[in-house]
Amino acid sequence: MTQAIEHLTSDTLSAFIDGELPDSEQEAIQQHLAGCHTCALRALSARELKAATARAGRRFAPPPETLARLTAQLHREPRGRARIHSIRRVAWASLAAAMLLALSLIGWRQLHETNTLAAELLDQHLATLSSAATPQVISTDRHTVKPWFQGRLPFSFNLPDAQALPPDTTLKGADLTYLKGQPAALLLFTIHKHEVSVFLTQRFGGPSVPALPSTRSGFTIHSATTQDLRIVAVSDVNPSDLDALVATLVRAQSPS
Amino acid sequence: MFRSEALLDMPIQFRGSIQGEALDNMVSASRSADFEQLALPLLQSLYNHAFWLARNHAEAEDLVQETFSKALRAFDSFQADTNFKGWIFRILRNTFLTSRSGIATSRTIFLEDHPDALDTTDSGPTPEDNLIRLDNQAALQRALEQLEPPLREALLLCDVEEVKYRDIALILDIPIGTVMSRISRARRALRQLLQPQLGESQ
Repeated sequence: MTQAIEHLTSDTLSAFIDGELPDSEQEAIQQHLAGCHTCALRALSARELKAATARAGRRFAPPPETLARLTAQLHREPRGRARIHSIRRVAWASLAAAMLLALSLIGWRQLHETNTLAAELLDQHLATLSSAATPQVISTDRHTVKPWFQGRLPFSFNLPDAQALPPDTTLKGADLTYLKGQPAALLLFTIHKHEVSVFLTQRFGGPSVPALPSTRSGFTIHSATTQDLRIVAVSDVNPSDLDALVATLVRAQSPS
Repeated sequence: MFRSEALLDMPIQFRGSIQGEALDNMVSASRSADFEQLALPLLQSLYNHAFWLARNHAEAEDLVQETFSKALRAFDSFQADTNFKGWIFRILRNTFLTSRSGIATSRTIFLEDHPDALDTTDSGPTPEDNLIRLDNQAALQRALEQLEPPLREALLLCDVEEVKYRDIALILDIPIGTVMSRISRARRALRQLLQPQLGESQ
């Protein structure tokens, strides 16, 4: 197996994970990664570092007074020559500005939360891909996997039969994990040899989950809710196959 | 040389005297609202980045405030189809460079841009390429703080602000190849800095 492979340089690898290479080169690297375990691991590790940097670097928020001063500046800054406004116009303008500010701050907050959660999900999914990680329960049998969580999780869930799963979809094992500090069940599936991580958390009392982006760094993130659970699946498999799995899991939760 | 002043010295568009001041005011008011709409969502990002540059709250606030001021005055030279985020981050950076701590920073000579000065001819994996544990946020933050400022700046624009290399090149006023090697080098440096933590935690 030890063929003389020209490994990727750090610069190339780094530009690759940033999606900055021309399409043809990007493809050539995908092919190299498929055959080179060393570089595949390096790419994985580089993605993890990138996600962690994004979180660690988003760190300094303006104190409230600063925020107030800067936003006030934005809608008060005189422009060019002095102008005389009617009171009414100023009032409308400041009302609009206040609403815009409120909306954008809510938006920023949600975006920020969404991004951290999406990053966390992706990190955990990537961690399961590394060959060193073995799930705590290795079983394809739902009757082994489900009871294992009893007493480990403050909630329970149903798993579909192996036959009820979409074609070429297998349960590989499970793990206990945490999302935003809340316990979660992590189910590991494969669909056509693509690894899938499915996170189950309590819908209420669990982490509040804003709408997640549907893709991140080339991975698809799909989520669904049932009466009590929130189900989030992460994978690089094609989105419709991922949907089919999520739908099966949702169906399994409703009492038949 | 940085061209911050050139950016601001662009002539304000001639609007014709026939329509007079009323139209001028209307145009300004709506441009001003456009500016606000574009700038407000970036306030937190600009502040975070300003803090990473200046390393204290008072100066970060001054930088963002001056950036807004300059950007609004130069807003006429901003073309609607170009990247506003890149444009305003460039103004922020140029504002920083002309500030006192910016001038102090620029006195430190940064060597990396010479291709043969360093091992940019690396080929393949290094020991630092091993999987590193990244669950220790504090360790990563310390490592980020220890990075050389030019490396950190490029990396933060890429990873935190999700700016494309092309726009980072414009913000930092360096060739795109240099952006690529700075980011790559920043990541290698982070890995090296994070190595000892692996030993400690196990």
